[in-house]
Amino acid sequence: MNVLIAEDEAIIRLDLKEMLEQNGFRVCAEARNGAEAVELARTTEPDVALLDLRMPVLDGAEAARRIYAERPIPIVMLTAFSDRGSVEKAISAGVFTYMTKPFRETDLMPAIRLAVARHTELLAARREVGGTAPPKPIEIGLRSQSGGLWPLRVQRRADGSLGVVVDGDSA
Amino acid sequence: MRVLVGEDETLIRLDLTGMLTSAGFEVCAEARDGLEAVELARSEQPDLAILDVKMPRLDGIESARRIIDERPIPIVIVSAYTETSLVERATEAGVFGYLSKPFREEDLLPAIATARARFSQLTAVREQVETLAEALAARKVIERAKGLLVHVGRTRAQDATAGERHLGPAER
Repeated sequence: MNVLIAEDEAIIRLDLKEMLEQNGFRVCAEARNGAEAVELARTTEPDVALLDLRMPVLDGAEAARRIYAERPIPIVMLTAFSDRGSVEKAISAGVFTYMTKPFRETDLMPAIRLAVARHTELLAARREVGGTAPPKPIEIGLRSQSGGLWPLRVQRRADGSLGVVVDGDSA
Repeated sequence: MRVLVGEDETLIRLDLTGMLTSAGFEVCAEARDGLEAVELARSEQPDLAILDVKMPRLDGIESARRIIDERPIPIVIVSAYTETSLVERATEAGVFGYLSKPFREEDLLPAIATARARFSQLTAVREQVETLAEALAARKVIERAKGLLVHVGRTRAQDATAGERHLGPAER
């Protein structure tokens, strides 16, 4: 599994990389700011992204939003801030898991595995929605004996029943 | 927001309950083992559950599986053990969070928030899938109705009056 890490502090970045590699992940990209993370997510197509919230150029939440909009992948946010505002910002950016620093390997690994699994389910459900189109009203033009056209519309009403609407006699 | 807590160690349970209460959650049920958690989830209908893994009678992961099977809710597992095999079992059971002990309030609250958000998201998409499946079935009925209408229309178009007609239940 390919992981992108974005962290402006070199020591934490190195630590993260080591932690991930020891657990069988491959670090495919290392970004030092949010803009670089967006760029590297585009070029290296990781399976998961770990983003620090506070980063120069572009913060982690905005980077998460852009990465997710281009190609949905599970995103784990790493941050020293656990206030409600920061958490909500991350959630609305599409972040799947939120890790408060300092964290341990035993915190991070379950979080990544769980985020990947649940996100896969979400994508599968979304594909199902995409594959079935909602029914559109059916327009029928009925020709009367006098030659006039009767536009009819068959559609489902709010209560679920089927209704036939005659728009008017165009004859 | 009503929360069920399943934890056999009294001190940790108290600690957890305290953290939740001070964060504005209502702890609606406290279970001391996995079986009790399943029963309390049934009777109390919590919005979320936090379950320890190692519990008597039934472990937290199996307990989570049964709770989710009966009525899906977001569940966060808390455990001193984080082996891959355990995490995988928890994943398969359908939980939305896995916290390793000891944890802090700043670990728990974001874990609850993300679990709730992602659970609602997944539930909403799944409901959409169901609605669409129904809509697709309706589409077939509409096609049949269309055929009928064309037939009726051909014979009675001239004296049809403008307005709305319902198809009876037999046609739906």
